[in-house]
Amino acid sequence: MSGALRVPWAVVGLAVALYVGWAIAPGSALYTDVFNTHRLLALAAVFKLAFLLLGAVWAFGCRDRLEPDNPARPAWFLLSLGLLLTFAGQLCLAPFQLVFGETPFPGPGDIFYVLAYPFLIAALLVFLNAYREAGLPMGSLAERALLVAGVGVVAVVILRPVAATPGPLLDRILTIAYPALDLVLLVPLVLLLRMALRLRGSHAGEVWLLLLSGFVFLCAGDICFAYFQSLGEEHLDPFVHATFILAYALIAGGAHRQLRILKS
Amino acid sequence: MTTRETVDAVVKVLGPYIGDTMARSATEAHCQKLGIAGGASVSPEQIESLLGKLGGGLNIFLGREKSASAITEVRQAITAREAAR
Repeated sequence: MSGALRVPWAVVGLAVALYVGWAIAPGSALYTDVFNTHRLLALAAVFKLAFLLLGAVWAFGCRDRLEPDNPARPAWFLLSLGLLLTFAGQLCLAPFQLVFGETPFPGPGDIFYVLAYPFLIAALLVFLNAYREAGLPMGSLAERALLVAGVGVVAVVILRPVAATPGPLLDRILTIAYPALDLVLLVPLVLLLRMALRLRGSHAGEVWLLLLSGFVFLCAGDICFAYFQSLGEEHLDPFVHATFILAYALIAGGAHRQLRILKS
Repeated sequence: MTTRETVDAVVKVLGPYIGDTMARSATEAHCQKLGIAGGASVSPEQIESLLGKLGGGLNIFLGREKSASAITEVRQAITAREAAR
């Protein structure tokens, strides 16, 4: 990795460390004297907005660089749209976080967050189809059926306690919808992860390592959010911020790496 | 040139782009589909068919231009191996 590329990753690392530190030691001087809740929320909003916008622009750049008949082109476009919708969701939250230092839930941003999922899921499915059509090994039908069954079991385990929590209907629908959509995302994600393992040590492998680990952190962030929200453990929200910042940065990093390959 | 030598030449060139494991498994899968087997010798026509299939897969990762240049590299590597025999 070149020096110019290390700097953004160092910034991501520091940002993640800042929010993990906030969760672990919220009473330390750093989080009471230097930063406070309002500043940390505002800073998280800025990080998320920046990474989402960069990710959307770079993914669109990949789409733009690929030929019209390239089967991966629509996948990059869908990924770009998914990131753009997530950016729009974050943009709806930003005024509350920047001005008032609070995050409304449910809020107008949730419309865009939920809308982003079909695009992200479709992007991964189109990638999968493109690789399958290109003759890359994707596993047998039985293996895929086993995977879907596994995700179903995980879904029951994860969603049952969240669904059992009392609260306003819209809150409950959304706290279940996010992890449920993530579990749908998990099916193509696991199949792509299998493929990405075969790409390790290569240029394409770097792209997929970044993209897929970003999606894994996205799922983890949503599931943590649903748990913390439904169990009333909002003091753990800094972990959620750290997870989302890392997820968006990794996805943006993957799109950037792919764009560099296409430009080189 | 045998199938094994052809696969090795392809893997050596495509490894940095898509990884040794993927390059080998994709090449072997295409060889199987094209009826190129084991220690049998591979004809120039079969090599061109194989490179055509591999190029289609590489397009997705690298785009047409870079994919074409990678396939040219493979072709040169195979020619060099044949010349060295």
